[in-house]
Amino acid sequence: MPACPAGHDSSATDFCDVCGMRIGGVAASPASPASAAVQAAPARAVPAEPCPQCGTERTGQFCEGCGFDFRSGTPASAAAQPGTTTALDPASAAATGSGQATAPASSPAAGHGPAWTAVVTADRGYYDRVIAAGGPDASSIEFPAYCPERRFPLSGQEMRVGRRSVSRGLEPEIDLSGPPADPGVSHLHAVLVAQPGGGWSLLDPGSSNGTQVNGVDIQTGVAVALQPGDQICMGAWTVLTIQA
Amino acid sequence: MTEPNFTVEVFQNEYLPAGGRDVNAIVTVAAPDAGLGAAGGAPADGGRAEIIIVDCSGSMDYPHAKIVQARAATAAAIDVIADGVAFAVIAGTEVARPVFPMDGRMAVADAATRETAKSAVALLRPSGGTAMGMWLQLARQMFGASAASLRHAILLTDGKNEHEPPDHLTAAIADCEGVFSCDCRGVGTDWQVAELRRISTGLLGTVDIVADPAGLAADFESMMQAAMGKQVADVALRVWTPQHAELRFVKQVAPSVVDMTGRRAQSGPQAGDYPTGAWANGESRDYHVCVQVTSAAIGQEMLAARVSLVAGADVLGQGLVRAIWTDDEALSTRINPNVAHYTGQAELAQVIQDGLEARKTGDEELATAKLGRAVALAAQSGNEDTAKLLAKVVDVVDAATGTVRLKRKVEQADEMALDTRSTKTVRTRA
Repeated sequence: MPACPAGHDSSATDFCDVCGMRIGGVAASPASPASAAVQAAPARAVPAEPCPQCGTERTGQFCEGCGFDFRSGTPASAAAQPGTTTALDPASAAATGSGQATAPASSPAAGHGPAWTAVVTADRGYYDRVIAAGGPDASSIEFPAYCPERRFPLSGQEMRVGRRSVSRGLEPEIDLSGPPADPGVSHLHAVLVAQPGGGWSLLDPGSSNGTQVNGVDIQTGVAVALQPGDQICMGAWTVLTIQA
Repeated sequence: MTEPNFTVEVFQNEYLPAGGRDVNAIVTVAAPDAGLGAAGGAPADGGRAEIIIVDCSGSMDYPHAKIVQARAATAAAIDVIADGVAFAVIAGTEVARPVFPMDGRMAVADAATRETAKSAVALLRPSGGTAMGMWLQLARQMFGASAASLRHAILLTDGKNEHEPPDHLTAAIADCEGVFSCDCRGVGTDWQVAELRRISTGLLGTVDIVADPAGLAADFESMMQAAMGKQVADVALRVWTPQHAELRFVKQVAPSVVDMTGRRAQSGPQAGDYPTGAWANGESRDYHVCVQVTSAAIGQEMLAARVSLVAGADVLGQGLVRAIWTDDEALSTRINPNVAHYTGQAELAQVIQDGLEARKTGDEELATAKLGRAVALAAQSGNEDTAKLLAKVVDVVDAATGTVRLKRKVEQADEMALDTRSTKTVRTRA
């Protein structure tokens, strides 16, 4: 009977049948594969990627050192360059929105011409047309019984139109979350962009249900110049009237 | 009887710090490349039995392609059944009906019986309900009357088990455990992943979605080919642990994650058997064993687990999980790459299932966090198949950090494919 250090009876000769302790100097098996397999680090850990611009090790989407965007491969400063108000790429318009809104007040839009205002109302005629056109949820949307007029003076470089979303960190300058809330308005539905030399244009960066100017659908991602008196329709009953 | 040896390799960091108690190991088991059948008692004629269970509920007619393809797939599978194998076909509705042979016994496959079976299958018409417990019970009776050792079924359904009380199915699965193995397939998107997964895990089979009925025939054919390749039935993983040790869990981690902890059958004072089903030549699977032992003095060595493969009274192979206590922190703090890899793969399966559940209940933040973690894990571990399935449910902003957005519109079939295949793992070694 092999001798277990703890005195158990064991029929196995390598390790004790009862307590598992190694039995006096008998090699269990030649070169256990285990010891060869032990390594210090997980095999497939993602190697740290250095920033191509400043060499700082990557920890997320943006470089901690210089703000380089690893995903799009653009340096941080590129996004802030002015001068692309027409035919904006919808994605970049959305992504850089907040940056442009806080641009210095020396922007060409400020101080030229009279201040413009967007007046938001619930429009029965537009609502009736939307319902008549029918949509997946048309029957479940009601015209709001009470909707006070809301006025938003246009200022800065950019005014985003949409519904506030805490989870996405989105706070549009023209916040239509209500009440009453129009379920057809996207969180980021449209962007009003100040034009060099005064005036404003409208861009739909890709809202779910689209945007109309004076009853005509506008193309996604193409800025449309606005005139005072223009009516911007979105959602089920929301109309923004531009006043100069 | 001398069995050809299964190879059992153990990957672990056997070094524990003073007072350390948790021992983790990945145990890789591989059947020999050839000769299993010869030495292990090749299933002689009649040593193998196959039953195909086809859902014939009314919904199989909507769209009509489902029943058309189910008939074609069953015929394709019948063509693959080797001569001499006992086989039968069951039509499942709110009851179970033997379609071939009609007397409820099993036929022996040859050219003539295969043709007769296929013409019986061609006459299947959908009508009625769905009671999978009844289907499994009939299969159990038919297998029970057979002397075959390798017993395998394919179950095809397109719907929920709604025409019998839920506990009937639970009881049927329990009754069938150990009697036969069962691969489950859901066609279309009206069936429930959790329900079929319960059958397939209980009966040591696979589960998958065949969203497009056109893919059924190829799938049935490959399943039946895999079944024909199995050589040794009823193999169990036997785990011995020392006195006062606690076996925390035993999981299969490759080719898919299956928690086997609850399947233990005590086989000795300090040993338990975990059924692994049938094995084919050259088949390889990985298991993660976690044992908590009583700690011993620095320098002492203990056997934390003796893991063996057994078939009946025969031991087919064995591996040792060891523990050595050391005061060298450089040794005790190492993480074995295989253990790390499979811990990640098991977490991947879990976060996908949690994420999809959160998505269903409308908790978008939790769903985004869980599925984001899944994307990061899949990317790190090189699990490309799972990464592709995830990309159909979320928009990946950055895979390395797991930054994702939930997609607004997700095809039901994509969501179900991600759910059913979430447990598929990849191996780390070249």
